[in-house]
Amino acid sequence: MPKVNTFKVKVQTGEQGMSEPVYFNFNNHKMEFKNVSGSAESGKIFEGDFEVNSFAHSLTLVGPESGKWEIERISIEYDCENEKPYTIQFGAVTLDKATEVNIWQDPPIPAFDV
Amino acid sequence: MGDFGIYNIKNNALVLYPLRQTTWIGDNPLNFIKKIFTGMKRDAESESPVVVEEQQPVEEEAGAPEPETNPGFPDVRRVLQIPAISESIFPENSPAVLIKAKPSPTGDQCLFTVNRPLMNGNSWYFPDFESAAGSPLAEALFCLEDVETVLVCEYTVTITRKDKTLFDWVPLAKEVGTAIRGVVQAGEALISEKIIAELPSEEEIREGIQKVIDTEVNPGVAGHGGNVTLMAVKGNSVTIKMGGGCQGCSAADLTLKQGIHTSFRTAVPKVGAIFDETDHTAGLNPFFS
Repeated sequence: MPKVNTFKVKVQTGEQGMSEPVYFNFNNHKMEFKNVSGSAESGKIFEGDFEVNSFAHSLTLVGPESGKWEIERISIEYDCENEKPYTIQFGAVTLDKATEVNIWQDPPIPAFDV
Repeated sequence: MGDFGIYNIKNNALVLYPLRQTTWIGDNPLNFIKKIFTGMKRDAESESPVVVEEQQPVEEEAGAPEPETNPGFPDVRRVLQIPAISESIFPENSPAVLIKAKPSPTGDQCLFTVNRPLMNGNSWYFPDFESAAGSPLAEALFCLEDVETVLVCEYTVTITRKDKTLFDWVPLAKEVGTAIRGVVQAGEALISEKIIAELPSEEEIREGIQKVIDTEVNPGVAGHGGNVTLMAVKGNSVTIKMGGGCQGCSAADLTLKQGIHTSFRTAVPKVGAIFDETDHTAGLNPFFS
């Protein structure tokens, strides 16, 4: 597992949004994003980042305490130590008070042309 | 322990959070810790700790089953796993035969993805040179000195190398790429007609693999508290999932490759690719996290 310097998330909300702050769980610590722009309301795009400087065991996006949050697409840019920055895209998922979604992916294994 | 309760235990770390609605009174902290490590249950008959709830009137719904509650222990959220979206690694409609090589993290295998179909809807495992007879693609690959086994599956070829001490795949991968490209460009059938004609039905594969899991694999891994489930069969390829003590176990890769693969291929020789969709980092305390 690499040491994560920073990560930046961009979440496209579908039909059902939410007005609560967007939280993430890093190694089971629930935190709010920094440098937030946009919102998680219906049809809107939420952006935020966080300077972690720690080793990633788990990273999840937390569902709202009330109602549901329909996410259309999640894009995460990771900047990890000794790795090239990389971006991971996830598709649709619906979160609620009982769920969170994994957004951690190890750096991709390099592929080469032969 | 004052105003603290356990929020969660994860990754061998005990996390204490302030309680919002529960207060612990008059308990010896050692008893409190002992309770935690004997199953995180708060036994009503025990002497201590005593839990005093700030109760609020709740209207009960007639006939509805009462949900299990654990005061002071907020519900652990379920972590959803969704696949990452992978974008095409090749430009569309390229006339050239393009091949990408991707060594496995363990270094013993390398996956070659081709922008041409190699075997539609099925897969085939070639364990040795003799098994490649009549299949030009496998024959060409076994002519390379360090190739041990070949697995052809739809658009991909997975090569296992003989020399497990080598981690640099570039020299061999270039030879493999040249061999695959040569056979594909020749335009002949890549896999023996006999193999294609004798491909088993999904039902045959499902029955055979399920029988091996029930009679051989699961009794074996049960000794370690593990289990294996057959998740899907597509063509003659199977997807399994490891659970119980196998999920997150440090020896899971060894169990999969030397135990499960061998059992499957011995009992059901026509099984092709064996995919493992276990998330070994999930759960409360996996080894791989």
